Amino acid sequence: METIDSHDLLVIGGGPAGLSAALESSKHGVKTAIIEERITLGGQIFKRLGVGFKDSSASSLGKDYARGAELISGIEKSNVEVFESTQVVSIEDSLVYTTHPSFGTRAFKFKNLIITPGAYDRPVVFPGWTLPGVMTAGAVQTLVKTQQLSPGKKILFAGSGPLALAFSAQLLELGAPVYKVLESSHPPKSSEILRLTAAIPGNWNLISDAIRYRSILLKKSVPFKYRRIVVKAEGQGRVESVTHCKVDQDWRPIAGTEKVESVDLLCVGYGFFPSHELFRFLGCSFIYDENQGGFKVEKDQWGQTSLPAIFAAGDGTGVTGSYSAIAQGALAGLRVAFLYGNLSELQLRDLATSYIRELSNRNKFQKALNHMFDVRPGIYELASDETIVCRCESVKKSDIDSVIESSADISVVKAYTRAGMGLCQGRNCQRQIAAMISKRYHLPFSEIAFATPRFPIKPVEIGLIADGSIRDEKYFINEK
Amino acid sequence: MKSNVLAGYLSHEQNSEELPKSVDVLIIGGGLLGTSLAYYLSKEKTEVLLLERDEINREASGTNAGSFHFQIALHQLTPDMTDSERVRLSAEVKLQVEAAKLWDGIEAELDADLGVHFDGGFMVAETQEELQVLGDKERIENEAGLESYILTGAEMHKFAPFLAQDLAGVAFCPREGHANPLLVGPTYAFRALENGAKIRTHCTVESVEVLEKSSPGSVGFRFRVKTSKGEVLCNRVVNAAGAWTMELAKQVGLNLPMGLSGLHVNVTEPSEYFLKSMIQHIGRRLTLKQTPNNTFIIGGGWPAKYEAYPKRYSNLWSSTAGNLAVALRVLPMLKDVKLMRTWSGVWAYTKDFKPILGESRKVPGYHVAMVPTGFTLGPMVAQLLANYMTSRDGSSELPKEFSVDREI
Repeated sequence: METIDSHDLLVIGGGPAGLSAALESSKHGVKTAIIEERITLGGQIFKRLGVGFKDSSASSLGKDYARGAELISGIEKSNVEVFESTQVVSIEDSLVYTTHPSFGTRAFKFKNLIITPGAYDRPVVFPGWTLPGVMTAGAVQTLVKTQQLSPGKKILFAGSGPLALAFSAQLLELGAPVYKVLESSHPPKSSEILRLTAAIPGNWNLISDAIRYRSILLKKSVPFKYRRIVVKAEGQGRVESVTHCKVDQDWRPIAGTEKVESVDLLCVGYGFFPSHELFRFLGCSFIYDENQGGFKVEKDQWGQTSLPAIFAAGDGTGVTGSYSAIAQGALAGLRVAFLYGNLSELQLRDLATSYIRELSNRNKFQKALNHMFDVRPGIYELASDETIVCRCESVKKSDIDSVIESSADISVVKAYTRAGMGLCQGRNCQRQIAAMISKRYHLPFSEIAFATPRFPIKPVEIGLIADGSIRDEKYFINEK
Repeated sequence: MKSNVLAGYLSHEQNSEELPKSVDVLIIGGGLLGTSLAYYLSKEKTEVLLLERDEINREASGTNAGSFHFQIALHQLTPDMTDSERVRLSAEVKLQVEAAKLWDGIEAELDADLGVHFDGGFMVAETQEELQVLGDKERIENEAGLESYILTGAEMHKFAPFLAQDLAGVAFCPREGHANPLLVGPTYAFRALENGAKIRTHCTVESVEVLEKSSPGSVGFRFRVKTSKGEVLCNRVVNAAGAWTMELAKQVGLNLPMGLSGLHVNVTEPSEYFLKSMIQHIGRRLTLKQTPNNTFIIGGGWPAKYEAYPKRYSNLWSSTAGNLAVALRVLPMLKDVKLMRTWSGVWAYTKDFKPILGESRKVPGYHVAMVPTGFTLGPMVAQLLANYMTSRDGSSELPKEFSVDREI
């Protein structure tokens, strides 16, 4: 195992928050490295084209691609050392243990960490959600962005919030044939539009994006249906038809409003969950906000968590989008530079002002949006008894329900049914199971603890971790 | 495969009922020992109340790897094999042979699929020195009535082609096997409930008070047990609190010769099924097996770091990296299989490695049930204790070397 001891600050994740954090810290003299699990920087939103594709078509890839390219080229010109294809497996005693397909285990020593793990698509459990041809918005976006490939010929987009609008428009722009969009929230009321209008100063770019997205849908005559939710996907071996329903204000389907449509791809985009595995593993404090993806790590305005050496930024700390992520990352990077004495308090305040203003504007806008697109409990109630809830281990809802009858403990459900023991390590089913427990015992969601966090943070080949130089002291009885 | 009978066996409503005012036997601890004891006692119509502070089967009983250790293993050995050591090991093997008989019949007894398999166990030796230990071990086992034999060279490669080609040799014990540790304890609990035993989870025992005949309110009972859900009077207490047995026994002034150690376990993603038998190592810390879910469970006694209850012991990188290296040394083909999770459990042991089982002479009525190889031996020692507690004529004596009051 190689130990790398040449950085004071490690930034985990090379998306908007991580790139921006590393840029600021290194600009102010902090020895910084970025650890990125993918083969290229950019994260999900600034994802680069796949191997074999040329950047010459970059202008057709939209504004985000250009914003990402700018940040990445900033990093390339800086002193930041970048470790790509490097998977964080565990963190222990000021060492980040990582694996790399060629270099095996490398342990990075750190004084401070800025963790920017990003978010993943909110899994929504409904009959047929595991059928081939049902994909999350993020997965479709990845295919379209990096491989310039549309996985369907007739795509129904079901989702909610700014994401439903933005993603479906982006997919259309990139050539994916989205033919209808379902939004489970109601059309904006005048009071909500007023609230949003009040939050416009400083958010013109978001508003103009939204207007542009809406006009793309209009131009292509793609209907945008409010108050409708997906309730079922059916087909022989893959999705052939989708049933959707009108919903009440809690997103619960209203009987008799079903509509069946034949499609070959259902794209599901009901928002994101923060990837908070590392924060849980380290023992950081958490707070709860359903609209930002549920449990999120507690942090101050600089991104410092309850563990002083650990900072957090970006959508992995509560989903608020890439503009906020960049500001959060920058603040964390500046703060670390200040802590090392590279910036005076005055300089720090001065440099932070624009980011703090940016964040405050975004937060106002976010709050106004949340009012419109509040995630409602109906999203957790779409499964029938026979629906698979844990897709890795094929555990159906009724089996989980019967264990919940005797225990409100996710770990007990896991032990008896294997739900959450598979390759996704519970990322897809734990929230759904928590919601089922919350409903059965009338407990607030925030009180239901997830299973004990353990490494590996993501599954990794045995051959990359095994270390023959570590000896087990013999343990014969009474050995001296 | 039989259906899983466990789901919902102890309903929330049932568990919320008030505690009985009094009971004959009160068992503290809902692990494998507590639940199996509740089953064997209730089967003989003894009135039983089992109290568990968290959930059934959540500590060592549910966090071990589910192996039946019948062969003599590394942790039982001393550096020098003296005659007295041979006698001790022989006695331990005999106990293990008895346990094997119980596991033979457990699925029929409980009428449930518990994932019990007797597909044998390997014990590998890397060096000639270790191979010699295997020879000693084989003789002791065969004399004590446990079949095992040693294979080397071409014979070994033919019998177990998946093992690394350059191992010095391997012992094979056809009797060994495994069960699903997540099902055994809860199934005992479920059958005990059917027999009329009472079980309460999320009920913490706060104190055990020894009563005199003259004590106010004793009405003939020997103990007053205070819990987070109220008080219970009882004739007999059984301390089956696993890693917390020693701590709990102090409430009645008993000092038990125990120690604790956190253990590390790894599990991989599912991979093509080929390994029917468990693999252990006579010189290094390793247990390795493939489960019916096709995952590999890899452990063998690597340490986990202490954390105060209710936090779980934390896993160490050095344990996973070291343990997996030993696994690859023996089974190189696992190289590209992914590690999926690690977890830890607390192992409670006695300083002479024998069970602590029976009634204290210092505190009559207070029983202890604790055993170091808890999964393999647990149900069997619970059955021994149940026989002792239900035999009215005192005909069912427990082995003296298991005495609660012994000093080590």
